[in-house]
Amino acid sequence: MAISRNCESTTRRDCLRLGLGALIGGGLVDALRVRGQAAIPGARPTSCILIWMDGGPSHYETFDPKPEAPAEIRGKFDAIATSVPGVRFSEPMKRLAAIADKLTIVRSIRHDQGNHGAGNHYMITGAPPRIPVGCGAFVSFHPSMGAVAAHERGAEGGLPAYFSIPSMLRSGGPNFLGAKYAPFVVPDDPNSAKFRVRDVAPPRDIASPRADGRRSLRDRLDHFKRFADKSAGDPALALDEYYEQGYELMGSRQAQRAFDLSLEDDRLRDRYGRNSFGQRCLLARRLVEAGVPFVTLNEGGWDHHVSLFDGFEKRMPSFEGSIAALIQDLDQRGLLESTLVLALGEFGRTPKINKDAGRDHWSNAMSVLVAGCGTPGGQVVGATDARGYAASERVLSPENLAATVYTKLGIDPGKILHTPSGRPTYLVSDPTPIRELMG
Amino acid sequence: MRATPSGLVIFLGVLTLAAPLTSGAEPAAPVTFEKDVEPILTRAGCNAGACHGKASGQNGFKLSLLGFDPTFDHMAIAREAGGRRVLPSIPDQSLFLQKATAELPHGGGRRIEPDGPFYETLRRWIADGLPRTPADAPKLERVVVEPAERTLGREEAFDLRVAAHFSDGSTQDVTHLAAYGSSESTLVAVDAEGRVKAGPIAGEATISARYEGLFANCDVSIPLPGEVDAALYDALPRSNFIDDHVWAKLKKLGLTPSAPAGDATYLRRAYLDVIGRLPTPDEARAFLDDSAPDKRARLVDRLLERPEYAEHWANKWMDLLRPNPYRVGIKAVFNLDGWIRDAFRRNLPYDQFVREIVTARGSTFEQGPATIFRDHREPIEIAPVVSQLFLGIRLDCAKCHHHPFESWGQEQFYEFAAFFARVDRKGTGLSPPISGSEEVVFSGKKGSVEHPLTGEALPPKPLFGSLPPDVDPEADPREALARWMTAADNPYFAQVMANRVWADLMGPGIVDPVDDLRATNPPSNGPLLDALAVDFRDHGYDVKHLVRTIMASSAYALSSEPNDRNIADTRNYSRHYRQRLRAETLLDAISDATGVPDDFDAAPPRSRAVNIWTNRVPSLFLDTFGRPDPNQDPPCERTSDTAVVQALHLMNAPGVHEKLASDEGQAAALAKGDKSPRAIVEELYLLAYSRLPTDEERTVGESLFQEPGADRRAVVEDILWALLNVPEFVFKD
Repeated sequence: MAISRNCESTTRRDCLRLGLGALIGGGLVDALRVRGQAAIPGARPTSCILIWMDGGPSHYETFDPKPEAPAEIRGKFDAIATSVPGVRFSEPMKRLAAIADKLTIVRSIRHDQGNHGAGNHYMITGAPPRIPVGCGAFVSFHPSMGAVAAHERGAEGGLPAYFSIPSMLRSGGPNFLGAKYAPFVVPDDPNSAKFRVRDVAPPRDIASPRADGRRSLRDRLDHFKRFADKSAGDPALALDEYYEQGYELMGSRQAQRAFDLSLEDDRLRDRYGRNSFGQRCLLARRLVEAGVPFVTLNEGGWDHHVSLFDGFEKRMPSFEGSIAALIQDLDQRGLLESTLVLALGEFGRTPKINKDAGRDHWSNAMSVLVAGCGTPGGQVVGATDARGYAASERVLSPENLAATVYTKLGIDPGKILHTPSGRPTYLVSDPTPIRELMG
Repeated sequence: MRATPSGLVIFLGVLTLAAPLTSGAEPAAPVTFEKDVEPILTRAGCNAGACHGKASGQNGFKLSLLGFDPTFDHMAIAREAGGRRVLPSIPDQSLFLQKATAELPHGGGRRIEPDGPFYETLRRWIADGLPRTPADAPKLERVVVEPAERTLGREEAFDLRVAAHFSDGSTQDVTHLAAYGSSESTLVAVDAEGRVKAGPIAGEATISARYEGLFANCDVSIPLPGEVDAALYDALPRSNFIDDHVWAKLKKLGLTPSAPAGDATYLRRAYLDVIGRLPTPDEARAFLDDSAPDKRARLVDRLLERPEYAEHWANKWMDLLRPNPYRVGIKAVFNLDGWIRDAFRRNLPYDQFVREIVTARGSTFEQGPATIFRDHREPIEIAPVVSQLFLGIRLDCAKCHHHPFESWGQEQFYEFAAFFARVDRKGTGLSPPISGSEEVVFSGKKGSVEHPLTGEALPPKPLFGSLPPDVDPEADPREALARWMTAADNPYFAQVMANRVWADLMGPGIVDPVDDLRATNPPSNGPLLDALAVDFRDHGYDVKHLVRTIMASSAYALSSEPNDRNIADTRNYSRHYRQRLRAETLLDAISDATGVPDDFDAAPPRSRAVNIWTNRVPSLFLDTFGRPDPNQDPPCERTSDTAVVQALHLMNAPGVHEKLASDEGQAAALAKGDKSPRAIVEELYLLAYSRLPTDEERTVGESLFQEPGADRRAVVEDILWALLNVPEFVFKD
């Protein structure tokens, strides 16, 4: 049935504020364009690359080692020095340790959602799930940060404003904002020689004269009547605009270059790591460079109930190396000033190592990596207790983190959105950003 | 006028005339909290959901949402914060006033003017020692807005007057205290002072004035200027009662209907509406060549008997009913899906369909509807789902607070939820992400629902009216609920379904959103909705009858092309409103036009998108075209919008391209065959648009085959690609 709710989340009451007739016809498309502007005129618009470590990475084995703790808590890795005196990371984080002066580690975000579905929801939307949800549940009660960025910021040149690579997060959807703000998913592997971003160029075997021929043929065969008067509300007009935007994107050298990793220097590609995640980091940088405000990289495999140390030894060197390469590359290009990089998961892991040499879910403590976009580097915010059981100093919430992200993206975290039923909903219930990250 | 549970609106017209308005505050009358102060707090927005009225309050000061709990509010103002909010000895120094006037920094800015009447009232109340309104004071009984109805010229304006009527017969002018809203603010705006202004477009709107939880409406209509000869309306075809109501409404607004749609347009529209697929070229030719006068009615009858009817309509109900298999388990969801499809195959009468859902019991592995009770486990979860889906009454707000735009209170919510208090389960509950166990739903002996504030156990009580008199107190209370819901004198039940089906076939619902029936969201054509619902009820809630009746009307068969006198009409069905094909229909249409079926996970080979039993089955195409996100709560959101990614996907997606270019596909077959270019172009137009090409289109198509070096297969593919990328393919016209 056509549940014909207004998916712009604009209630009729809102229309009044917009003035008579403002929403009639193709007004929404125009509204979209207006939002594609820089937050601060003249300055480069800010962007966010959110690296999601699905499963919940251990805080002990990443950024919050406890070398003084008993062995059953400490684990097998040493704490290593970083480029910032007094700050130590866990042994696997070698390349990030070397650039710790660019990073801020927040060690004191905590919440009370100990399963993947709920933890994902809380961290990625800044709102706790409204009802208890199961561990493997996929839920969405509130728009994700990426969808809000797309809604509030948009992107130019037909570019989607929110990418999720290679898949959408459990709670990464737009919820009541509507499908227009769902992430543009790029499932293909950029480490493959045949990699292409889906749908932004004609199929491979339709060479360019034929593709151009199709475009003009389409124009010649299009005899569908349009009702040009906006008050008629002809939905075909909106689709026409989207075809225009689509062609703009397909024809935009800048956008197409953003998707083309082969333009990168081979040595730089090597530095990012010749693997799926490494090349996805590189793609994220290129997208941000082209003006995309929000890119999520979804990278699973951090739910180490079993064989945590083996898992880290195998995976982390390449993984953290890619993140370090991304941050350094952004920095060298002058993009780090306007690009927020986050790496986080649902929660931290239990203090005591379990019988399977793993750690279990633990939302009393976690570590979040933050860099760029005016975040002062070389600091640690907050702390857990001596054994890493719980955030104990400067205790912060997922709301604080979401408020930080929104503020850096030029979006008021205290903004009120209206659900299709007219209910006012705060973007973030506690709109207080983490001041140490605000510079 | 339609029944409303509050009964408020019904009496408006009469009562407006009765009582002359007295002026507001007599100087001698004492200022008391409930009567004088709360309304100001509401009017100034202090207790709005975005400010102190939200569940956590604002800056340590919390009021009940929109002032529905005066005792709480009085306490918050008079006692909390060590009583420093109000200082009766020096009222002007009260924090309460200094914040409201922004004399002290206030996040909400200046809400009260320091030299205005509101300030004076609040100040006096503080100075007088914060009196409550005595319990025996006259009660507010109703609100009356004047005028109750008004016809406006374009851009014309007028002022509303709102009167509060009390139990002692007294009245108070509350125009300056009421809150106003317009049901169609693009047509008619209303400002905070109750000034109503028409816009440039003809149409109708209802202006609601809300005061202290009660409201009253003023219906405004703006006819299109200029005279239309009454004979025009008399001469319009009247196929059934629908046309009478639609034409009457158009006449009232001075709108004229578009011309009837041509056969090809009707054909494609009917196929897409009834069975969600395109006619084959042979089916199209046969219909277009048929010269029988009743061929449209026979077409609809034939379509209603096709097996695809059930799949298409069941697919729509899946959006509303089907839970996330990660939450409730694959088998339970699959079982529910099968039950819904089967219900539409059997054309199960709608009242029975709903009764089987509301009273579901048995194993989630055997009884499809039981799965709904595996998903919604608490009475307070299932109650608003049932009321919204089957009665069009949105109760969710009332779970936590009085519904701000309706008359539903918290008590009513919990009384309604109490019908589900005895639902019990045996077996293993939810254990996501597999949740694979069987559960048996049954009606237990015990179970109650308590009011969240008073803790009192509430008896099951319908939202309005009364239960059938012969209810067995021992029986499952849901039986009584189902009988009350489906009773012939419950207008909501038939209306919400009639409205859903109407919206599927006609574009916007008569009430829009389709499941939000309330006095402040009135139908665009009340008599039409009433008549449709009565006809649906009188025909045994036969859904196929409802579809057939709507499709038999002349209104259904209008062209989408506007004329000078209906171009801005988007609510009164003076023309057909274009709709984008839903995701599954569009994908299946592409599969049919290209002759290449899909291969979905968790489905038999050659399944169609409409057969998919859960939105967890991956499909980039369906995601791109807005099928509901299966993670989302509530699960019923589907978007019919277009987006740039849709254009890109149709043009470039590998999945679509593979179909076009497949050696097994339609394009390859046509290229390989011995048809002339002319015949190929004709076939392609019939495949994609269910019509023959115009001469010009034929010429363009044929000429491509004649170009030097033209590759026959590539030409066919290119034409088909172009046809699929024109809005004529994407929209139902």
